[in-house]
Amino acid sequence: MYGWIWRHLPGNTWVKALISVVLVLAVVFVLFQYVFPWAEPLLPFNDVTVDEGMAAL
Amino acid sequence: MTLRSRTAARWIVRTLSEICLTAGALIVLFVVYLLFWTGVRADSAMDGEIGKLHDRWSSGAAAAPDRTPPPGKSPTPAPPPRRYRSGDSFAVMYVPRFGADWAKPVLEGTATGTLQRGLGHYARTARLGGLGNFAVAGHRRTYGDPFKDFPELRPGDAVVLTDGTTWFTYRIDNRPYTTLPGDIGVIDPVPRKSGFNGPGRYLTLTTCEPEWGHSHRLIAWAHLDATQPVAQGRPSALTG
Repeated sequence: MYGWIWRHLPGNTWVKALISVVLVLAVVFVLFQYVFPWAEPLLPFNDVTVDEGMAAL
Repeated sequence: MTLRSRTAARWIVRTLSEICLTAGALIVLFVVYLLFWTGVRADSAMDGEIGKLHDRWSSGAAAAPDRTPPPGKSPTPAPPPRRYRSGDSFAVMYVPRFGADWAKPVLEGTATGTLQRGLGHYARTARLGGLGNFAVAGHRRTYGDPFKDFPELRPGDAVVLTDGTTWFTYRIDNRPYTTLPGDIGVIDPVPRKSGFNGPGRYLTLTTCEPEWGHSHRLIAWAHLDATQPVAQGRPSALTG
């Protein structure tokens, strides 16, 4: 998978490395901005109230 | 082994290891998000809420003369207090036991998004300082860990709140009490099992138990001990 991506990136090794870093940062950004905030409420740390499942949540 | 099957085996092993590495990296990133990033975000959100409150209170104090009745007329009864708007902050809580600089905004409602920006006031419970039970929920872990030291609360500890005009000093009456998530009697106007046996001005704090789980809830009850106008300065529970 990673080998396939590497082979398909344009440019010489340095350009490829730079693009890879940008790609990794983009993935981390999407994860922190969108994926994790969506996944986090599915975990128990939000359950701090005593009337869950009622009107409050 | 033919060359072909060797290549295939190699491809399978490599792909498997890449998937494992990716999954591991994802888990590490998620832990970083939970332990660190939610705290960063919540701390800035809570500071923002407290800043907004202080701005509103300082400008509200300037606008106050408009509301005083014109001279000569008999004083009209005080207007009904402003309703808390869902998701908006309306008070700041101080708990000296959690640290001298521990101050968190209290927002109306206990929705997930609200609790990520501060403590949440159960919408159907009493107003701050009002007759009945002013109940507040907060995160124990993640989102700034506001109630991390909840088990350290002891009878007599002060829980001080201000709504911009009055300081309310509540005193804790019990060691944190463990109960089940469905035990909504703990936020009743006269909370069950709290030891209070008549109507009064109470405060209930709730958070999760165990620290990282959700099987139980931790409850602390307090009663209103003293109030004083903001103009008289900070209450002794905060200065002493």
